Amino acid sequence: MTTTAARTTTYAWIVLSAITIVSWWLAPGHTRGAAAVASVPITVAVVLLGFIKGRMIIRYFMEVRTAPRWLKLFTDAWLIILWAGVLAIYLY
Amino acid sequence: MANAEQTAADLDAAAASSVSSAARQRTLHTPGDGHMWVMVLGDLIIFGAYFIIFMVHRAMKPQEFLASEVHLNINIGVLNTLVLLASSWFIARSVQAARADDHAQARRLTYLGGLCGVAFILIKAYEWSTKIDQGYTISTNEFFMFYYMLTGVHLFHVSLGLLILSITLRELRNPRRCRLFMVEAGATYWHMVDLLWIVIFALLYVMR
Repeated sequence: MTTTAARTTTYAWIVLSAITIVSWWLAPGHTRGAAAVASVPITVAVVLLGFIKGRMIIRYFMEVRTAPRWLKLFTDAWLIILWAGVLAIYLY
Repeated sequence: MANAEQTAADLDAAAASSVSSAARQRTLHTPGDGHMWVMVLGDLIIFGAYFIIFMVHRAMKPQEFLASEVHLNINIGVLNTLVLLASSWFIARSVQAARADDHAQARRLTYLGGLCGVAFILIKAYEWSTKIDQGYTISTNEFFMFYYMLTGVHLFHVSLGLLILSITLRELRNPRRCRLFMVEAGATYWHMVDLLWIVIFALLYVMR
């Protein structure tokens, strides 16, 4: 049981780190000196990846995966309101 | 005969314990205690409000924010994210070790997680000092005001997290009196610090 839980935690960590490295490639920080260009597709991708990462931390690291329903609902609502809000304000 | 009876009793006991462990796996469990979750969920709401306020200001001056964002060092941002994710992995594994009654391993993992937290603070201090050297301060513009404010408040939470991890360590030092919910509560707070950083990283460093 412990080994399964350990493996799941490690998989979550690997996916989270991989997404972070992908984010490096998306960021505008490499164009030092040159002007960065706004990009809707990249920002939408960033919002989606941020949502996925946040949910993985909550579900796997904070162990909400096995927590009571109210905690799952509250944390999901927080994630959805936050990221939908960020995207809506950006697109507006 | 007595031996056979004992074996049968052992088998029964083994079956009963495996049933109860399966049942425990299915039962829902709130990690830590209610007080910690009140604090964590409250913090999430407050930070959520900061993030939305940041976006509203960003939407008013998108060009200025984007032009300033370019001056942040993405390498350091990614490195710090990886450091915090590693620390969360150590802490999550530490809770699992404590659950399996391997307190020595749980202590080692908590130390490693805390060490990553210290590394995060040092890297952040280095990042701040290079920004200040380059002339980007809190009064440069609105983007940098948010940059120092959000990362500063977050840094305070990292420090508080380290203090909480030291309480976890004290708890783990005495296996017989170790309260698992205290270990879980400390971990819950630490992962929240990680969770908030993930959002800060996306909004300040990556989005365009």
